[in-house]
Amino acid sequence: MLGSMEVDSQRQVDSSRQVDSSRQVDSSRQVDSSRQVDSSRQVDSSRQRATVTLRVNGRERRLLLPARTTLLEALRENLGLTGTKEGCGKGECGACTVLLDGRPVNSCLMLVSQAENHEILTIEGLSSQENLDPLQDAFIAHGAVQCGYCIPGTLMTAKALLLINPHPSREQIQEAIAGNLCRCTGYEKIIEAIQSVASR
Amino acid sequence: MEPLKYIGKRIPEIYAWAKVTGEAPFTDDLRLPGLLFGKILRSPHAHARIRSINTSRALELPGVVTVMTGTDTPGIKYVAQISDMYPLAIDKVRYVGDPVAAVAAETEEIAEEALALIEVDYEPLPAVFDPCEALLDGAPLIHEDRINNLVLNMKRDFGNVDEGFAQSDRVFEDQFSTQAVPHCNMEPRSSAAWKNPDGVLQIWTGTQSPYFVRKEVAHVCNLPISSVQVMEVHCGGGFGSRSKYCEDEGVTALLAIRSGRPVRITFTREEEMTTTRIRHPFILRIKTGVKLDGTLMAREMQVIVDKGAYCHYGPAVTGYAAGTAASSYRIPHFRFNGDIVYTNKQAGGPFRGFGAPQAIFAIESQLDEIAEVLGIDPLELRVKNANRSGDLTPCGWAITTCGLEECLEKVSQAINWKERQKGPKEGRYRQGKGLATAIHVSGSNVFPDGEFSAIELKMFIDGRVSVYKGSGDTGTWANTVITQIVAEELQLPMESIRLISMDTETTPQSLGSFASRVAFEDGNAAKMAAAQLKTFLLESAAAALQVSMDALFLQDGMIVYREDPSKTLSYGDSVFRSPRTVGHILTSAYHYVPPTVRLTPKGYANVSAAYAFSAQGAEVVVDTQTGEIQVKRLVVAQDVGKALNPIAVEGQIEGALAQGMGYALTEELIVDRTTGKVITDCLDRIMLPTAMDIPDESIFLVETQDPEGPYGAKGVGEIGLNPTAAAIANAIYDAVGFRPHKLPIKAEEVYFFLHPEKR
Repeated sequence: MLGSMEVDSQRQVDSSRQVDSSRQVDSSRQVDSSRQVDSSRQVDSSRQRATVTLRVNGRERRLLLPARTTLLEALRENLGLTGTKEGCGKGECGACTVLLDGRPVNSCLMLVSQAENHEILTIEGLSSQENLDPLQDAFIAHGAVQCGYCIPGTLMTAKALLLINPHPSREQIQEAIAGNLCRCTGYEKIIEAIQSVASR
Repeated sequence: MEPLKYIGKRIPEIYAWAKVTGEAPFTDDLRLPGLLFGKILRSPHAHARIRSINTSRALELPGVVTVMTGTDTPGIKYVAQISDMYPLAIDKVRYVGDPVAAVAAETEEIAEEALALIEVDYEPLPAVFDPCEALLDGAPLIHEDRINNLVLNMKRDFGNVDEGFAQSDRVFEDQFSTQAVPHCNMEPRSSAAWKNPDGVLQIWTGTQSPYFVRKEVAHVCNLPISSVQVMEVHCGGGFGSRSKYCEDEGVTALLAIRSGRPVRITFTREEEMTTTRIRHPFILRIKTGVKLDGTLMAREMQVIVDKGAYCHYGPAVTGYAAGTAASSYRIPHFRFNGDIVYTNKQAGGPFRGFGAPQAIFAIESQLDEIAEVLGIDPLELRVKNANRSGDLTPCGWAITTCGLEECLEKVSQAINWKERQKGPKEGRYRQGKGLATAIHVSGSNVFPDGEFSAIELKMFIDGRVSVYKGSGDTGTWANTVITQIVAEELQLPMESIRLISMDTETTPQSLGSFASRVAFEDGNAAKMAAAQLKTFLLESAAAALQVSMDALFLQDGMIVYREDPSKTLSYGDSVFRSPRTVGHILTSAYHYVPPTVRLTPKGYANVSAAYAFSAQGAEVVVDTQTGEIQVKRLVVAQDVGKALNPIAVEGQIEGALAQGMGYALTEELIVDRTTGKVITDCLDRIMLPTAMDIPDESIFLVETQDPEGPYGAKGVGEIGLNPTAAAIANAIYDAVGFRPHKLPIKAEEVYFFLHPEKR
């Protein structure tokens, strides 16, 4: 059985407008740097929807989406997996990190079609029904969480690190999470938390 | 006295589980039925008159539900210290990014497309970006009613400064400048609003101060305060940026009212960085008179505050810089002159430290200069002039407890200050050490809303308690600490306590989470509300068990008779039996007003009930070939009064150190001087410290047991950042003899100092 189509009212409105020529992006419009993602969307084919099959947290989900949809948008808006956060939309902050076949990726920079045929793991899939991942327990116990906005992304990066290197040094941890910005903690307790799992 | 069971313990954050699993909802995670996506059209000009706005093409775009310009709103400016900003610009725009119009549409993409279809006819006006130029006659006027773009001039004069200088053996004069910095919360601003079926405008917004938001949103929407409800939601970092209202909250509310649908506006990272309130750049002139033995005699500080386009809370920030400068070290005479100046740039606002880091950079850098000229050890100079318990500073700050001497002692020991290498150093990589200190309030009585916190507790017949707290928690663990206090007073496990915060419909009004006030003031309110609830429980149990109240004690949900511990009554039964119980709920509330005095127009008052202190030591290595600065170690000893939760306190300090290091070395909001556009408009360009930049850190918590603080605690949220840049600057001087006069301290400046021939 496939996952539900996850079609919400917003998408219905969207689909009813597919033939509307006025929706063509005005090419004369000033595209500033914050809309870089947009400029790549000016391709006509991006308006067309495609069926995409994703394997997220061990479950297969089929979605009908505009081809230009990013993996982050699909996770948050179509699959309701809002644990993955958007901090910048440009691959600068790491808040949207998910694992693709065990490797960390910025889901804001990846088109959903690029994620097909890969195993996607998000923060929602990190813990089992009963137990948190040891990293999650360690983040709680070490006080590594303040506002928590960067935490899902940082946890996923840490998970990826421990998958390939179960006993990293402090420097290797620092290097691994250097792409996950945090403005609250000053990183110290995050590093300590990861170290505590790595030294087990 | 019983040993403390919850206070002073390393208890995890109450929301940590929800945050590590991704379940904690932030505003952009909410799924409201029929949600519309709002977007704000912003000015591309730094200064222009709006001749006309044509929204008809945007309105025709299918999927667009409403388009709104300033003239479609009630046209009410929000109540800042000087009200000068509408939710959407009317007549004029004053910086690149000024909100001009707003759209609500069925999808985010349609909303963005609609923005491009709004035609705004601008008449560009000359702009001014430098506050010194803005003060000149003939400079473009940003707000017509402010001559020379002067928002206001602030004067402070305590003691007799001229006499103090006359009695001084030496007088030092220096100039420093500091930069603009955006807060860079990891969660971009997001607010969602709708008018519910009861006609109440409900708004979700990650804020530090829900009651400020309620007041301002009601004001700009022209609604009674009681018909606006701020809702509980997680907030992805504050640091001052969400300590007051921001116009997107008003715009979201206005769009929701206009469209009759739920609307959400989530900022792009660029909007977050280029349109929210930032740390004010300061130009500081500091003049200090000293005796040859190092005794500080008088200090005069003149500052020019680059306000940006709107006033917001600039005067409060400037006033706090003055208070800090008057109170850092014992100084009998103090004078201050502050010009707060409009420029065509993003407006400044509260940012962790609230003007103190700027003042402290100047004070502490100059203090090292003084030490060198007088031939006194910088540590000894600081200890000699350090504040002490019982001091009354020139601006009226009454210091009840002060651990500054002990803090200096601990830091200097930890960095081996006395054994440090003195004089010129050799080799490519040169090490240096620097010291700096800070004083900071625990709550500050400066706002017309008054200075207070209120907490309400409700205990149910299952013996559980709900805590109603009006201020937000931006990730500082404030709600955890408040829960600990209730747990301690009621001897109830943390798990039996639920905390509801922010919701302005259910929580008693509180000023908010800023000025390092929550643990102190909300903490006192919680402690007293809980103590009262405890009395109610004992009173009821004493009647039920027919013993005296004094013979009973609380233990994990049971009221126990001391003489015969088998004689007990559960909290729930006690609630059920209490004559005070209404509808099976036993309620207790406390409105805490700290023993402080509202700041006078002359700037003299004991604005806080307790003052925290911090000493910091920095160790740096400077590469003389490249000028590159590496912070190797930061040591902090902080007078926290009492650490209510040491992990939380360390977390505040470690986070502050990273921000302080960024403030010292990298973070700067740079504006293009021809267009007024922010150049450093993304995270890659602002260069926040990453995990790789974090030096070795040592933290010592000095507990002075403040008599007014809950369990002796003082505020800890801001002070950790205040002296960091100064300590690093002093360490750089110690390493290579380069005295930074400007933040951030750039490698190229160090390089050109070391290689003047290459300049």
